[in-house]
Amino acid sequence: MRATRTLPLAITVTLALSACGGSALSGGGGDGGSDDGKVKIALLVPQSGVYAPLGKDMEAGFRLYLEENDNKLGGKDVELTVVDEGAGPEDGVPAGTKLAQDESVDAVVGIVNSAVALGLTDSFTEAKKPLIITNAGANDITGKSASPYVWRTSFSNGEVGEAIGGHVAKEVGDGKVYLVGPDYAAGDEFLAGFKKSFVAGGGKIAGTQMTPFGKTTNFQPYLQKVRNAKPKAVFAFYAGAEAVTFVKQYDQLGLHEDIPFYATGFLTEGGALKAQGKSAEGIFTSLHYSSELDNDKNKTFVKAYTEANKVPPTVYSMQTYDAGAVLDKALAKGTGGDQIVEGLKSTGEVDSPRGPWSFSDKQGPDQTYYLRKVEKKGDAWTNVIESELTKPSS
Amino acid sequence: MTALTANFITDNGVTMIDGLATGVLLFVIALGLSLVFGVMDVLNLAHGAIYLLGAYVAVALLGGGTKMTLLAFGGAVLLAAIIGGFSGWGLSAMVRPVAHRGHLDQALLTLGIALVVSDLVAMKFGNDVRSIPAPAGLDGSATIFGQSYPVYRLVVIVVGGLLAVGALYVIERTRVGSLVRASVVDPQMVSALGVDTKRLVTGVFAAGAALAAAGGVIGGPILSAYPGLDNRVLLLGLVVVVIGGLGSVSGALVGALVIGQIETLGVSLLPDHASFLVFGAMGLVLLLRPQGLLGKKEATA
Repeated sequence: MRATRTLPLAITVTLALSACGGSALSGGGGDGGSDDGKVKIALLVPQSGVYAPLGKDMEAGFRLYLEENDNKLGGKDVELTVVDEGAGPEDGVPAGTKLAQDESVDAVVGIVNSAVALGLTDSFTEAKKPLIITNAGANDITGKSASPYVWRTSFSNGEVGEAIGGHVAKEVGDGKVYLVGPDYAAGDEFLAGFKKSFVAGGGKIAGTQMTPFGKTTNFQPYLQKVRNAKPKAVFAFYAGAEAVTFVKQYDQLGLHEDIPFYATGFLTEGGALKAQGKSAEGIFTSLHYSSELDNDKNKTFVKAYTEANKVPPTVYSMQTYDAGAVLDKALAKGTGGDQIVEGLKSTGEVDSPRGPWSFSDKQGPDQTYYLRKVEKKGDAWTNVIESELTKPSS
Repeated sequence: MTALTANFITDNGVTMIDGLATGVLLFVIALGLSLVFGVMDVLNLAHGAIYLLGAYVAVALLGGGTKMTLLAFGGAVLLAAIIGGFSGWGLSAMVRPVAHRGHLDQALLTLGIALVVSDLVAMKFGNDVRSIPAPAGLDGSATIFGQSYPVYRLVVIVVGGLLAVGALYVIERTRVGSLVRASVVDPQMVSALGVDTKRLVTGVFAAGAALAAAGGVIGGPILSAYPGLDNRVLLLGLVVVVIGGLGSVSGALVGALVIGQIETLGVSLLPDHASFLVFGAMGLVLLLRPQGLLGKKEATA
């Protein structure tokens, strides 16, 4: 067998492998059922693959809540087990299904990836086990595929885009805005949400460019199109590695000085912002949290979190911290699946670092979104709060 | 007509230059892959991991995002090349036992090594994206066709171009080069003539890996460093080799330049088909000229 015949094969193998990151199950095995006065919570967060940094933040957030409350939720001692969600549904769904079927586990918290969340809704409904989603943003999770057992403390993608659309329309006035982001489900939802309020606010679109998701390392050709269109502003919705490359190249290619940059908040959150550094200066984003938020609850949260983890909390930490808070209230009612769900229904207002919020009747957070701006504070770059944005309609 | 051409140039001139930068960088990365395949007939899927090693050498030495001098950057390139060279040497020793057992065994072995290396790197440096700054003095921008363009990418074109000329010279004009070329065509004959092919093969492996690791540092300010980048780079490298033809320096050069333009100009002209362009081009080459643009017709093995 000679080379040219094997090469395409090799490429196929590499493609397949790069699609599924490594993963392995970890975390302790379950022992014993749910005795009175004891409760077992499983944290399903990525410990491997591209989302591992998010998983770390989420775990740290949840652990902080437990620590502040003597390791008790609803007055019951908590046994915590952490399970790897992996890089995508091929790892996350089997791991989650196992947790749904494990009778010793009372509730599951976490999940970064929307495909994992959507893939697990049925198993959790069947098992009548509460699943508190603390990141995955697909609109359908609390929309079309809603289940009485699936709750969300994070956000829905459409809202994050919708929150800032009206503001951008007002800022650019007669000018046009160029939209650019990754070509996958969440990207489409950010985009649709943005367009909804942007067009309603009289905004005009200069062009829309979706880039292949997870495959783009050089954004120059897209940025050239943006430049040629001469927009008054750019709205982008990248996250993770792509957010870093995009923002750095936006700066390197000289667009940073010329064209104002608006984005969804994940673009400049946590490790991404650290890697972007000065290139991200002055970017405006929308999100329901920033470690810079000025309220008492957040100040104590940031202080305690920073002391424990050496880095300030991210939105991912906060969302999972809040899952601790809602479970604390719900578990006071009992530990069975239906009892916890009843408890979640009567959560009422949550005193959160993001400001007070409560569950909507869709079981997602009814919350305020903020306009944030990247500025340097001391040695580190942060997202300074500029103002509150209008609450999205959903 | 001329107005149209002029428009095309102002609209896409910068993009074409960027394609050149991409292509040159790809050449530096893919050359080793091509030669190792050509000389040893070994499919080295750990090549991307070696690129990643190089990129993280830059992160370790220069990380942090602070300004750094040209000297420090040059030092990082050199150190990465040395580490890459030794890794290549080690790889060639590990691969030798399976060298005659077909491509599948080699692919499995090198892929396993690649997975181990990238996991070790992730354990050491974490899963976050780490950016690598361009050296001071080269981190500004120049004006081309009335638009600003990073100076660093122009430097990449020059440095990569020099490397390409150097590699072409070594392979085409020197005695070592002629031995390498001869080994591509008929390794048994070269061995029968009394040449120590083992050393030759190890040398080629090490040199290719050194280039890939150096490419990791040089490409750092453009592509940053993060887990998973190795697969991306390996994939593009393999495509370059398929398009250019195996074991030929000029083939790798042509393949890299073509892919560079497809990844930039092609994407710019047909943005909605961006995901398919590179593989479409590869498919076309495989269909029309399976030995690659500059590859020689296969001898019967």
